[in-house]
Amino acid sequence: MASGYDRALSVFSPDGHVFQVEYAGEAVKRGTCAVGVKGKDAVVLGCEKRSAMKLQDTRITPSKIQLLDNHVALAFAGLNADARILVDKARLEAQSHRLSVEDPVTIDYITKYVAGVQQRYTQAGGVRPFGISTLVVGFDKNSKIPRLYQTEPSGIYSAWKANAIGRSSKTVREFLERNYKDDMETEATIRLAIKSLLEVVQTGAKNIEIALMLPGEEIEMLPTDEIEEYVKEIEQEKQEEAAKKKTGRAGAGSAALPTRGQDDAAA
Amino acid sequence: MSRRYDSRTTIFSPEGRLYQVEYALEAISHAGTAIGILAKDGIVLAAERKVTSKLLEQDTSAEKLYILNDNMICAVAGMTADANILINYARQAAQRYLLTYNEDIPCEQLVRRLCDLKQGYTQHGGLRPFGVSFIYAGWDPRRQFQLYLSNPSGNYGGWKATSAGANNASAQSLLKQDYKEDCTLDEACDMAVKVLSKTMDSTKLSSEKIEFATVGQTDDGKIYHKLWSAEAIDELLEKNDLAKKEESEDK
Amino acid sequence: MEVLLGISGKDFVLIAASKAAMRGATILKASDDKTRELNKNTLMAYSGEAGDTVQFAEYIQRNAQLYSMRNETELSPPALANFVRGELASSLRSRKPYQVNLLLGGVDKDTGKPSLFWLDYLAALAEVPYAAHGYAQYYCLSILDKHHQRDISLERGIELLNLCADELKRRLPIDFKGLTVKAITADGVKDIPYDDDKIVKSA
Repeated sequence: MASGYDRALSVFSPDGHVFQVEYAGEAVKRGTCAVGVKGKDAVVLGCEKRSAMKLQDTRITPSKIQLLDNHVALAFAGLNADARILVDKARLEAQSHRLSVEDPVTIDYITKYVAGVQQRYTQAGGVRPFGISTLVVGFDKNSKIPRLYQTEPSGIYSAWKANAIGRSSKTVREFLERNYKDDMETEATIRLAIKSLLEVVQTGAKNIEIALMLPGEEIEMLPTDEIEEYVKEIEQEKQEEAAKKKTGRAGAGSAALPTRGQDDAAA
Repeated sequence: MSRRYDSRTTIFSPEGRLYQVEYALEAISHAGTAIGILAKDGIVLAAERKVTSKLLEQDTSAEKLYILNDNMICAVAGMTADANILINYARQAAQRYLLTYNEDIPCEQLVRRLCDLKQGYTQHGGLRPFGVSFIYAGWDPRRQFQLYLSNPSGNYGGWKATSAGANNASAQSLLKQDYKEDCTLDEACDMAVKVLSKTMDSTKLSSEKIEFATVGQTDDGKIYHKLWSAEAIDELLEKNDLAKKEESEDK
Repeated sequence: MEVLLGISGKDFVLIAASKAAMRGATILKASDDKTRELNKNTLMAYSGEAGDTVQFAEYIQRNAQLYSMRNETELSPPALANFVRGELASSLRSRKPYQVNLLLGGVDKDTGKPSLFWLDYLAALAEVPYAAHGYAQYYCLSILDKHHQRDISLERGIELLNLCADELKRRLPIDFKGLTVKAITADGVKDIPYDDDKIVKSA
């Protein structure tokens, strides 16, 4: 079926596939999950964080959320070492851009650059594509409009209101599709990001990383206990909802439906 | 099935895996064990030397432990020839940093330089990845004593105690069992020989079979590193009752 | 007639630079800022060939920022000074060397130690307690030799700076249009108000 056409690094197969790029997509799916959510005036990145083993030095665990410049952050899913190289290139471009035109990069520009590098590695000779997808977030200079973009190993980039990449990203994206609302307050944005991650992260706050960006401010990594509080609230909510459902069902069979929340009905 | 994706160079398999990298890891799991333990006042690295012959000169350069610069040393597990290339590169990188900034390179940055090179060999065509894992021990003013482990994929991480090479799974679980937070360098040395004695194929240890190195701080605050002499290793083994039995019987 | 002055003390470094941008004997602008922040705790002031100065300073500034982004830590003032020296030294041996004189002042954010460096276009580097470039050297170093001490406070530093500035106004034949004065402390770089309109009569 794919005989030979996926070995010479990236070439078309007779039925029009570039297998190496597709397989790189598989590498992304093996990586831990990352989400991005835009609110009215904030943008939030959330990541699934592998729990540290007992002997790991917690001072030195590279984060999956990294700054490209003071006003742009990136989260990735896929091969860690590949991400390091790509992030490094983007950081160089961000400063180089400042040097040549004075202004900091726009989020759109740096996303295009990252995607451009990824594209080049799907077409250049003798290299394999980057095994990562990225979410790029931030605010342009003097702008209060939150931005969120995604790039893929193929070099495709796209703008989103909310999106997920990595392991079980489909489940998370579907959850976001059901629950996203326009013009969310900052608090609600953070809550949605955490709630969506909890769809795939069973172990709670200690395995979640959240970064908050506000216009003109430095990135803020939420402390674990703050995430913990959100998680508790969300879980309590869920339990209450479940309890409601149960009592409803127990009460009077078909009458249960109208008492359910609007969101559930929509789903 | 997997055969088709691993023959030439590092490319993705349909499941998104890099077989060449995984095979490189496999190669390392046959190499002599290396372990590193972080103590509150220093770090110890210990490694099993696989090649032993009566004819081998004992006092020449270490086979598995290398000095990278004034504040960092490393242990090697895997292909020694590959390691030499990387160590050379790391030493140059460290000196270049010293020349540029007149300060020693921070440990993590040196590890990262090396790992970026390793990563390059997993992405660029026609090259196989480096078949070595490293355990690094170093000190810098920002984070004091630090222990790192890196592997052929170009990933790295910080550890309190870690191992690489043959039997590293059992070494790791032994370390997990015995590791004490805030142990002293002496205690860490004792632990290192104990773990090695359990993971090595032969129960009898001697300075011919293992190498030892420590990073520590002198009383006046200076950072030192030293590769241990055969005598010092034997002394440590005696102390822990792990020295070769025959010798004591002969006496 | 460009003036660069630097004074270090217990926990700060003061850097002052003249506000006049000149071309030959003509003043083009009286509100020039001849300094660039390299990172949160380090400031560099420059004088020399117009064009070269800004080009070089911004190149250094961007490289310092790149280091901060890549390593999630900032270069210490001595490391930066050494980096700048290296860049000047390789420029000096190129086809068209940068003609830039510099003062670099900073406070180490971990140890709180202030340091001031003097660099000229020949890539000489010296760490000094106080420094000046250009004609200011002739008038100010003697004042600072007499009055400066290593552990002075910021207030005393500003007093000394005013002493120097007055002397410059008294002796320099051309008006340098006042000074931009900045203080670097552990908290970052802040502007220090300076009265440009103060008139100092010559003897």
